[in-house]
Amino acid sequence: MKYFRDEFDSFLDLNKDENDTLIKLRKKSFENFMKTGLPTSKWEDWQFTNFSSLNAGNFRLSSANDVIKPPGIVPGQIPHSHFLLIINGHYQPGLSKLPKNVTISSGADHYFSHPEFYSHKNMESKWSKGLNPFYSLNTSMMNSGICVQVEENTVLSNPIQIIYLTTAIQNEIMNHPRFVFELGNNSKATFVEHYIGSTPIGYFNNCVTLVELGQNSFMDHIRIQEETSGSHHVANSFYGLSQGSTLNVNNTSIGSSLYRHNINLKFCDANSSANYNALSLVDNEQHHDQRIIVEHSSDSCQSNQLFKYILSDESSGVFNGKVIVEEHTRQTDANQSNKNLVLSPSALMNANPQLEIYAEDVKCSHGSTTGQIDPEALFYLKSRGLSHKKSMELIMNGFISDISELVNDKHISEYLNKIASQQLQKIMK
Amino acid sequence: MLEIKNLHAGVKGKAILNGLNLKVNPGELHAIMGRNGSGKSTLANIITGRDDYDIISGKIEFNGIDLNEMAPEDRALEGIFMSFQYPVVIPGVNNTYFLRAALNAQLKHFGKKEINAADFMRLIREKLKLVNMDEKYLSRAVNDGFSGGEKKRNEILQMLTLEPKLSILDETDSGLDIDALKIVAKGVNDFRDSTRSFIAITHYQRLLEYMEPDFIHILIDGKIVKSGDISLAQEVEKKGYSWLES
Repeated sequence: MKYFRDEFDSFLDLNKDENDTLIKLRKKSFENFMKTGLPTSKWEDWQFTNFSSLNAGNFRLSSANDVIKPPGIVPGQIPHSHFLLIINGHYQPGLSKLPKNVTISSGADHYFSHPEFYSHKNMESKWSKGLNPFYSLNTSMMNSGICVQVEENTVLSNPIQIIYLTTAIQNEIMNHPRFVFELGNNSKATFVEHYIGSTPIGYFNNCVTLVELGQNSFMDHIRIQEETSGSHHVANSFYGLSQGSTLNVNNTSIGSSLYRHNINLKFCDANSSANYNALSLVDNEQHHDQRIIVEHSSDSCQSNQLFKYILSDESSGVFNGKVIVEEHTRQTDANQSNKNLVLSPSALMNANPQLEIYAEDVKCSHGSTTGQIDPEALFYLKSRGLSHKKSMELIMNGFISDISELVNDKHISEYLNKIASQQLQKIMK
Repeated sequence: MLEIKNLHAGVKGKAILNGLNLKVNPGELHAIMGRNGSGKSTLANIITGRDDYDIISGKIEFNGIDLNEMAPEDRALEGIFMSFQYPVVIPGVNNTYFLRAALNAQLKHFGKKEINAADFMRLIREKLKLVNMDEKYLSRAVNDGFSGGEKKRNEILQMLTLEPKLSILDETDSGLDIDALKIVAKGVNDFRDSTRSFIAITHYQRLLEYMEPDFIHILIDGKIVKSGDISLAQEVEKKGYSWLES
């Protein structure tokens, strides 16, 4: 734990020139973090995830020394995407390209232009259910990330892909990136938030992503987590939807030994809809823990969640999902589904789907199933001459096939299918 | 083609077949009739090699190969096919993709060139006509959202595509209305020739009216107690099974 204090102090020393308000915010956030420390198994919403490796670790905040010569070929690049590259926490403007009507700024720049976005009071009132020590830690040391703003009435035909690459590091580092994606009124865009690791050395990414959809806007958000097996990845994602907006999220996670993701989605105005599909494919001793809170605070909004996990070896998964339908809201339609396939007797899944309904005019459903490969299905395929391996592959690919339905871009779909089949091959062994 | 000698077999250690003998020659259609629990489905599962079904003693040979200890997929590649009593729904697995993968596994097994997607579509469209199935079934997941009759037709479609040497039709008539039954029976009849063999497992004589079996066998307590021609099936239809019990 001590390294957090040391790193924070030296971070403040290095950034003395920052605006006073920002420094104040950082200090306040760090105090908040130190008051509680990292969540423990005694915290109800965190009980299945053990952060002792973070406590015992000694991660150094990424510095100028970690700026490296970018690799010749950047891994994960999706064809036809506008592309923003961050390596070891450092933005690479020379290798990035942006379309018209889109502006970017660093986290600090965005803070100055949009203080209301960060001021703790605002966050506390809007996202009271989503704040936690990792969010505070991120605010205190946010040293990376990017704000991408798409102007009003803009339709981007190609996706904006942000690759957050961790590679060729010399010792264990940490980063606290802050991403903001703002989509103007009547605009349409696809964002790919893509984490990739390629290093045998451990690291810790503690990410916060704020997504704001303007009125009648349409966003596809694809989040891909391909960190290394020796990494820690903690994330807090916040989605705010204005009137008449539509959000489709595909969240595909295959990497990291310790992955915890808190997802907060809020309907701030009426007539919006959100579809959230998530897939986790894990093996060895990977631990994937995802918690989603969907707040129906406005009338006539629709949400669909589908979370799927395939777990093998000694891996473990947690799904903790909550839909809250607030009092006085009308015509809410909310669905939540969680399906898990457990391939080994030592793998473990904890699922906790919940509904909290305080209104009357609602249509809600939720359900969770955890099971093994259906032996009947396996025999059926084998009885047609397919090998055991091919049969397993077909069943698993079939199981995950509906997750990618929300992805409208062909090249992204192809990329997601490719990494999913590779990961399935790996976890089947 | 298939020779079963004094077969004792069962599921999870419990004996169900008690000394069964059966010889099926190329070109023959054998019907196995019997009550629920007489061992009909066990026989089908033993021949196709389902897990948990074990041979206690006796022998099953398929074209001279001992089937005991042979994996179900290898039996299928050798030419054994079962039309399932309850075809399994496999969510997310495309029917066409699955069937082409199965055909290619067979082609590869025999050292032949795999069939490409375009040639396969041509082939499958012809086969679809034979079982009166709409092309829309090809783009669906295997048996997903299929009615009982559609599932059974899909089984026959698979049979016609994979062209097995021995086809076991496990209660293929159950859950079929008369029109669907006629389509299924026609599919089987058109497929019959001097090299292929069939074992039709059924409760009732109904299916046999459309299929012309060469032999009828009555299975009671895991043993064939009487064999005969179609007149035996008609007799059972009239009198039931009790007169055959010792």
